[in-house]
Amino acid sequence: MSATDELPGTAEREQPGPIHHKGPGPSETGWLDPRGRGHGGRALALHRITGLVIVCYLYLHLGVLSMLLIGSSAWGSFLSLVTAKSFLALEVVLIAAVLFHGLNGIRVAFVGSGIAVTRERALFWAGTVVGVAAIIFAALHILGAL
Amino acid sequence: MSRQEHPPGGPAVTQTGQDDIRPVRVYRYKRGDGGERFDEFEVPVGPHTTVLDALRFIQRHHDPSLAIRHSCMHASCGTCGVQVNGREQLACVCSVRDQGEEITVEPLANLPVLTDLVVEMSGFFARFPHEHPIIRSSGSPTDGENAEVHLEGDHEVTLELAGPLHHHPLHNDHRAAPPAVDFVRFEDCIECGLCLSACPVAATSHDYVGPAALAAAERLLEEPRGVEREDVLAWAGRPEGVWRCHVGFECTRACPADAIPAERIMALRRELTFGGPDDKERKR
Amino acid sequence: MSTRYDAHVLIVGGGATGGGLAHDLALRGLRVTLLERGEVTSGTSGRHHGLLHSGARYAVGDREAGVECIRENMILKRIAPGTFECNDGLFVAVCDEDLEYLEPLVEGCTGAGIPVQRLNRAQALALEPNLNPELKAAVRVPDATVDPMRLILRFFATARHNGADIRPYMEVIGLLVHDGVVTGAMVRDHVTGKEGEVHADLVVNAAGPWSERVAAMAGAQVPMTPSPGVLLALHGRYCNMVINRMHKSGDGDIVVPQRGLSIVGTTSWVVEDPDDLSVPEDHVERMYAEGSKLIPALRHAERRAAWSAARPLVGAAGAATGRELSRTFQTFDHAEKDGIEGFVTITGGKSTTLRGMAELCADVVCRKLAIDEPCRTRENVLLPHTAYYSEAVAA
Repeated sequence: MSATDELPGTAEREQPGPIHHKGPGPSETGWLDPRGRGHGGRALALHRITGLVIVCYLYLHLGVLSMLLIGSSAWGSFLSLVTAKSFLALEVVLIAAVLFHGLNGIRVAFVGSGIAVTRERALFWAGTVVGVAAIIFAALHILGAL
Repeated sequence: MSRQEHPPGGPAVTQTGQDDIRPVRVYRYKRGDGGERFDEFEVPVGPHTTVLDALRFIQRHHDPSLAIRHSCMHASCGTCGVQVNGREQLACVCSVRDQGEEITVEPLANLPVLTDLVVEMSGFFARFPHEHPIIRSSGSPTDGENAEVHLEGDHEVTLELAGPLHHHPLHNDHRAAPPAVDFVRFEDCIECGLCLSACPVAATSHDYVGPAALAAAERLLEEPRGVEREDVLAWAGRPEGVWRCHVGFECTRACPADAIPAERIMALRRELTFGGPDDKERKR
Repeated sequence: MSTRYDAHVLIVGGGATGGGLAHDLALRGLRVTLLERGEVTSGTSGRHHGLLHSGARYAVGDREAGVECIRENMILKRIAPGTFECNDGLFVAVCDEDLEYLEPLVEGCTGAGIPVQRLNRAQALALEPNLNPELKAAVRVPDATVDPMRLILRFFATARHNGADIRPYMEVIGLLVHDGVVTGAMVRDHVTGKEGEVHADLVVNAAGPWSERVAAMAGAQVPMTPSPGVLLALHGRYCNMVINRMHKSGDGDIVVPQRGLSIVGTTSWVVEDPDDLSVPEDHVERMYAEGSKLIPALRHAERRAAWSAARPLVGAAGAATGRELSRTFQTFDHAEKDGIEGFVTITGGKSTTLRGMAELCADVVCRKLAIDEPCRTRENVLLPHTAYYSEAVAA
């Protein structure tokens, strides 16, 4: 008689076990969960989110341009929608997303090719400062101009 | 030395008092009985109480069925990796008091749980390159300022050695040990898996080899030890190798041992992108 | 599967002793099951500072232990290459009193066959610049630094590869005794929480400081004196060689490099319960004080960890500190000792002699089971420690 068969739990040990993900309690969030992460992990999450936002915007933009085919009245009502202040606020958000994605992208491109690796954190904060300044500038112009 | 009396109850008990009792939440999972759950235990905590001390106290005084993994108790073996309040830590050197009022202990992420806080490490090691030696030459000098050595008459020191003191298995060297010292040391990586747990990419990409494995490959570039550079770069340059990394740097942040996996991954990527200074030489 | 015999040996305890024995018996073709209540090497075996003894520390007071050590030191370096920092060790005299130990040390080493070399102050400092610049003399011996867990894992990996069933998280909660014969064990599996029984032709108690407790499960007596000591890990790698104090065994007389840390050890006291290990702060202070006599920079090095581990000393209670008891190991055949068949205890010893201990115990085991197989562990090169994890998948 093989001892392996005898010992309790033998069959259970051979099963694949559950994979535990980050965050309190079982969850599938993984990369999306900012808790317990440093600036690098949060930048990665935000980079993916802004990437998705920009892609969605691109499709919206194409959809909008296709309205030109419909006629001037549709275009007119569309224009009143997009010149509303609330919509312009969304434009600021879009600019923020593009700026973050672009500046972080530069950081990732450099560091990810092995350039300036030891200054990775400095690059992140420098990019943040530039980005925030640019967003404020954009916000003032877009929203202030009305 | 006379027989010494020590307070009972294990290292979690402070010598000055036992009145700092804290609740510790621990992830539990036993195979065959279905559920994953959290249990809460009361643990007395002192100034030097580590998470591992607390877990062993729980095992001893509350629930002997709590399964935990540990061995060296000083961040050398890498077996006690857990998540404490969502951050990867080695339980044996993680101070309970530094965690604040609430403390939750969970197993590492991205590896299958065997039971309670123990994960199955076979998947972690399966990702490593086939050759992965753990001894290297000592390289840079030891830490600390060199003591000023006053030599008699300021002559250069030479060591006359009568013969080999030991047979050095790595170098198979039968000569008498040379005067210049040829020390070796263990690689810094203690194979703890904290980096793989912290990696945001590993959460959703199950074939990504992960930071520890890539760092091991880069160390083979630093000091080949018989492994071909081309083989290392070919192994690392696969899609599930360095290119799956998205520069999160969470691995270096989690690393308890100065193995700097993120920097090593970037070094590999630099080699793959631009080639090293030796490239032209080798192509001849 | 490479088992040649039906005889089934159950080993209780997954430390160095259990691992060495599982490897030896598996090579001899026996069926082996090893049970460990926690992770392998989670008892005393994983916790020491990582010294692979040359034997010099014992050569003066305990010649036999010194001879054993240097022999096993050489064998381990041969069967487990790549798991040691073979950088040698120094015995350093920091005061005139220490110098009185120099001749006995050199003589003791020479008598035990331990290679030894005298160094003057300048030579010692050239090798190890962070040493106390006031040092008087030094002696070089073939100490080495080992990663305790990883060395032992190599034994487990090879044993597994040769068919042994290594089962961590399986706690022995009782022994099955029938008409004065131990026939197996009662177990609790910590992976599932279930209990059960396992039967064997022979049970070996390799539970280290817990040996007395396990032996009692069969009604046998094994007098153990668990003897803990405090170890201190400090940030910074201040030496490549093992640095010993040139005097009789005492507190804080060794500094061992472990990657980026320096381990200072140790102290010694006795306890009843090997699970009851405290870390008295005055012992930690003593490590700082004694360690900095060897390497002054340690005085200000930041603490990484302080812990204690219980030496499995064999012998009657009543010893004051544990330092007086011999470090050699003992094998008890309980048929002779307590009239209980099918049960053997192996305990005591030092980490350096794990292979040698296992050989002698395996000889006893085979004799009891009427199996005639030679030991092959002196020459068999062990699998790498990582194979322990891949073999788990294969099992």
